[in-house]
Amino acid sequence: MSTVQGAAPRRGRSLPFKLPARSGLQEYTLVGVVLLLLIVGAILEPDAFLTSDNMLNVLRQASVVGVIAIGMTFVIATSGIDLSVGSMAAAASVAGGQLADSGSLMFVLGALGMGVLLGGINAGAIAYGKVVPFIATLAMFTMARGLGLWMSDKQPVSIFDLEFVRWFGNGEVLGIPSAAVVFLAVTALAWVLLNRTPYGRYVVAVGGNREAARIAGVNVRRIVFSVYVISGLCVGIAAILLSGRLASASPIVGNLYELDAIAAVVIGGTALAGGRASIVGTFLGVITFALIFNLLTLMDLATEIQQVTKGLIILAAVLIQRRER
Amino acid sequence: MSMKRVVLPLCAALALGLAACGDDEESGGDGAAAAAAETQASPASGTGEGGKVKIAFSAPGADHGWMAAITENAREQAEKSGDVELIAAEGVTDSAAQADQIETLIAQKPDALVMLPNEGDALTPVAQKATAAGIPVVVIDRALSAPGASRSFITGDNYGIGWQAGNYFADQLKCKGNVVEIQGIAGIAVTEDRSKGFRDALKRRCQNGIKIVASQPADFVPDKGLSVMENILQAQKQIDAVYTHDDDMAEGVVSAIENAGREDEMFLTGAGGSKAAMDRIEAGGLYRATFLYNPSMSASAITMAKMIVQKQGFEELAEPEVPSQVTVPATTVTKENVGDLKDLGF
Repeated sequence: MSTVQGAAPRRGRSLPFKLPARSGLQEYTLVGVVLLLLIVGAILEPDAFLTSDNMLNVLRQASVVGVIAIGMTFVIATSGIDLSVGSMAAAASVAGGQLADSGSLMFVLGALGMGVLLGGINAGAIAYGKVVPFIATLAMFTMARGLGLWMSDKQPVSIFDLEFVRWFGNGEVLGIPSAAVVFLAVTALAWVLLNRTPYGRYVVAVGGNREAARIAGVNVRRIVFSVYVISGLCVGIAAILLSGRLASASPIVGNLYELDAIAAVVIGGTALAGGRASIVGTFLGVITFALIFNLLTLMDLATEIQQVTKGLIILAAVLIQRRER
Repeated sequence: MSMKRVVLPLCAALALGLAACGDDEESGGDGAAAAAAETQASPASGTGEGGKVKIAFSAPGADHGWMAAITENAREQAEKSGDVELIAAEGVTDSAAQADQIETLIAQKPDALVMLPNEGDALTPVAQKATAAGIPVVVIDRALSAPGASRSFITGDNYGIGWQAGNYFADQLKCKGNVVEIQGIAGIAVTEDRSKGFRDALKRRCQNGIKIVASQPADFVPDKGLSVMENILQAQKQIDAVYTHDDDMAEGVVSAIENAGREDEMFLTGAGGSKAAMDRIEAGGLYRATFLYNPSMSASAITMAKMIVQKQGFEELAEPEVPSQVTVPATTVTKENVGDLKDLGF
């Protein structure tokens, strides 16, 4: 469990300053929250909550937003933001659906391709066009949604026959949902990328102090460009998972996924202002929200309670972050 | 040719047409004669080109099939009737933007305005403006908040959907069992009405025989329907039937049930009348019924607007004017009648 906070890299270029190491309080807090939820859930819903069936169900549900949140971590680490991930997921899903007649492979390539393409447009606008991330991705938020509706003629495409894609979303690998395996794999890869490569250090450095990073020789533009492409790629993967689960490529999915992803990243310890990022924190954040949704639905509590609970947790997480500085 | 030679045969045709109106068997001739009577009675009825009735049309941006069908049906109806010139605004999803668009449309001095307001309250002032300018307003689906702001209102029957569904469940389950309700967006009238109708019907027919064991919103989208149903399936070990507020959303719910392998345990109903739902109902199995809330109402709205401008009423009714409110019934669609209703699927 570790966070990166722009500490002087051992390989590659060294930064002209040394940033303090973090205590990791955020992640410990989150582990505590998850444990607390598990205990509370076991008490309130003894028959249904803590069963292996339900826990795997939670993992499976967390996968789609989870993969998106992992990508979002890189973006936020550079002090950027990506508001278009939900719409891009719909567009990617639809793009795959348009190629569904040519089989699973084409579906996958279509979805990934659209995710990377749209992410690349964001990347270009932000890194080279110097558009503020909020505005650029806000524009993409509507454009991607419109693109999805247009390509699909507002109708969902059934992908019932694409066995591989459906297995991807619903199947199991040694008893673990394949969607969860994908989520875990993406998380692991991202962790290695962020914590064990120079690239990861540059990403955080760009977020922490852009000018200093630039002076130190980091190619800021390329780093900023890359994180939005990563976000797009993650969106493509998430779109395949989602379509597999739904057995359909639908243009109206993905509503407000960006808020869920951002919330998970923030409560996980990654600073919105950049300079501090935690993949494990994001993972735990996603699990936390998935557990809350699951528990409150099992208890059949009104949706208002879920929403207030979620908001309070986000607030608490941000307050803890402030106290740390 | 003197005027008299033209007028006399025309009056004869008019008389024949009116006489034919009374005869139900000749419905084809009825329409043609009525059309002849229309154009003769009001030749310069519209301000559009060639005397066509100029109708302004505004509906929110289509972010799903139903809304897209609304706009499409209106356009098709305008073309089909031949004497309507439709000026439509681009769909926008913001109430203020829609109000601005309608103002622009009003400035073009149409004969009538047909609108589906993004929000009834927010669009009431602009409707009042149109009415004050002498432009009759026909509203589709979402009611305005001031009486007199519109001339006519055509809507589906959300409460009726719930009511029909409740009765259907009472019959199918013989008033015993566990039922799950998957709602639309919490808090809006559509959802509240569909829910209330359902519960009222169940109460009336079965008192407490049927238990609603879970009721959660899934916002009319399939991915939320999927996750919500997955969690409910974890909590409820025996579910006899699922009532959903929307066909699109129901697709996700169906996926959840099928993924869990529990499709034989229960049946499911949707609402709206989408093509996909009708196909599923026809194929049989889990998806047993849906209740119409058909976007055909926009086509009817165009016709109503035209008739208002041409100062007509519904022929078969005794009243001489177009009614000020039309509620389209929520027809139950099951395997028995889906064949006849498939054309309405959107």
